[in-house]
Amino acid sequence: MRLGRFIAWLVVGVVALFYVVPMIAMTRFAFQRIPVIKLSLGNVFDKWTVAPLFESFTESEFRSSATLSLMLAVATALLTLVLLVPTMAIAHLRSPRMRRLIELSATLPFVVPAIALVVGFAGTFRETLPILIRSSFGLVPLYVVTALPFTHRTIENGLAALDLRTLVNASRSLGASWTRTMIFVIAPNIRASIATASFLAFTVVLGEFTIASLLLKNTLPLYLAYAQGRNPQGAFAVGIVLIIVSTIFVALSNRLGKVVRA
Amino acid sequence: MASSLGQRTRHLAFLPYAVFLFIFLIWPGLYVFRQALNQSAGERNPMIEAVTGQYRSSFIFSLQLSFISSAIGLVIGSAVAIAIMQLADVRGLRNILVGYSSVAANMGGIPLAFAFLAAFGMQGLATRLLKEINIDIIGWGFKISDFWGIVLVYLYFQIPLMTLVLVPALDGLRRTWAEAAQSLGATVSQYWRFIALPILTPAILGGFLLLVANAFAAYATAYALSSGGSKLVPVQIRFFLQGETITGKSNLGYALAAWMVIITAMLVAGFQVMTRRAERWRQ
Repeated sequence: MRLGRFIAWLVVGVVALFYVVPMIAMTRFAFQRIPVIKLSLGNVFDKWTVAPLFESFTESEFRSSATLSLMLAVATALLTLVLLVPTMAIAHLRSPRMRRLIELSATLPFVVPAIALVVGFAGTFRETLPILIRSSFGLVPLYVVTALPFTHRTIENGLAALDLRTLVNASRSLGASWTRTMIFVIAPNIRASIATASFLAFTVVLGEFTIASLLLKNTLPLYLAYAQGRNPQGAFAVGIVLIIVSTIFVALSNRLGKVVRA
Repeated sequence: MASSLGQRTRHLAFLPYAVFLFIFLIWPGLYVFRQALNQSAGERNPMIEAVTGQYRSSFIFSLQLSFISSAIGLVIGSAVAIAIMQLADVRGLRNILVGYSSVAANMGGIPLAFAFLAAFGMQGLATRLLKEINIDIIGWGFKISDFWGIVLVYLYFQIPLMTLVLVPALDGLRRTWAEAAQSLGATVSQYWRFIALPILTPAILGGFLLLVANAFAAYATAYALSSGGSKLVPVQIRFFLQGETITGKSNLGYALAAWMVIITAMLVAGFQVMTRRAERWRQ
């Protein structure tokens, strides 16, 4: 038993080191102006600066890609909610068969890797509807699809925790229309799920590289890849910010997920 | 009440979702297969060409990378899950490890590649620290953009993903089963071999398939590590989409993509079957 605990601590320690070291290395590279070769115990705390980050912030390429990524994130979250919440609420109320069908369809994006999806998308629309490929907002439907398995799950959990029938009957018998019921009764009751789904959609959009790269849209991950050669410190600094932001989104959706299930 | 939302409107309500999925997922997926099976005169069938010609080695590379990173991820990730159980009395440890695992399992893409370049690149911090204790990984021929380098980077999300799969499965092992086995005279190792392991097997196998699918579809990390030139199948597909390259082989890119869908679909289907089996033991 003693030995078992020792081995357990050893495993935890080594893996924790493996998780932490790359993050420390990246932070040091971005914010300390000393090459690794010249690093020694004597100067570990010297020449730290956040200047590379602010230099990136002033670049016009950074600004345009950050703006694009933020707009795509919001648009993706909105389209996800508009598409999923009413459909799934009605499925919950009226048709268990539809509910299962939607559940099955929401796992389909797992089967089609991003690279295959974007190749098929580009081939389909290059001739028929080229605006979808030219416009940056053509990415939005693809991101909704990519995030679907995760967003569906959270909304499903939220709806399953409600006594939807009673709520809707009450609202409808007081004369509210379907639209009013959806916006003022159902949506507020699953607000934790709505927030979680939005955070998950944001995380997907902020991290997605494959699709944006093949359609040549300058989102934040593409800016990182492009700035890597030109201004590595600044690119790594922005990379750290992206990691922190997505970590916060994941943590928030974990926490809210517990609220939903409780 | 029900009449206010009649039979017809009921089905209309599902129309936007169904149409959306059809246009942006199902149709593009079918398009890939249609093009992949489209054989022009004087050419070999693209689906066959994709796995026999020069791209065969890409598939082997991608699959080897996926299987090896998954196998190592399975062993280490399971060890972490078991360690979490062993150290259940240490306050906060489980929350920290499971919480960070859910963050790290989602990590990937360009930022993760940056982190590993900074740590294990030629001028990396870890490379330097290891050299201080006389472990010269560069001298051994280790390169972060090579096969084992990419395996190391993939472990950053493979290990935590396996931990996340296994922790609930271990939670599902009831204490009463161990007690029952013990009172019937079973040793600890007999309990693990004949009771715990058979119950956990579907969860472990399912987790393995999930890890393989996860690594197989990954693209951005390897792309950034090797500045765009990698043997991975997705990177090869990229050349076709951007260049319309070699004439007479226009549909080969689609065939590569089609094979990716087929392989991923098999892995995901296997995962679903295993998950269903694993859930048999939960109430």
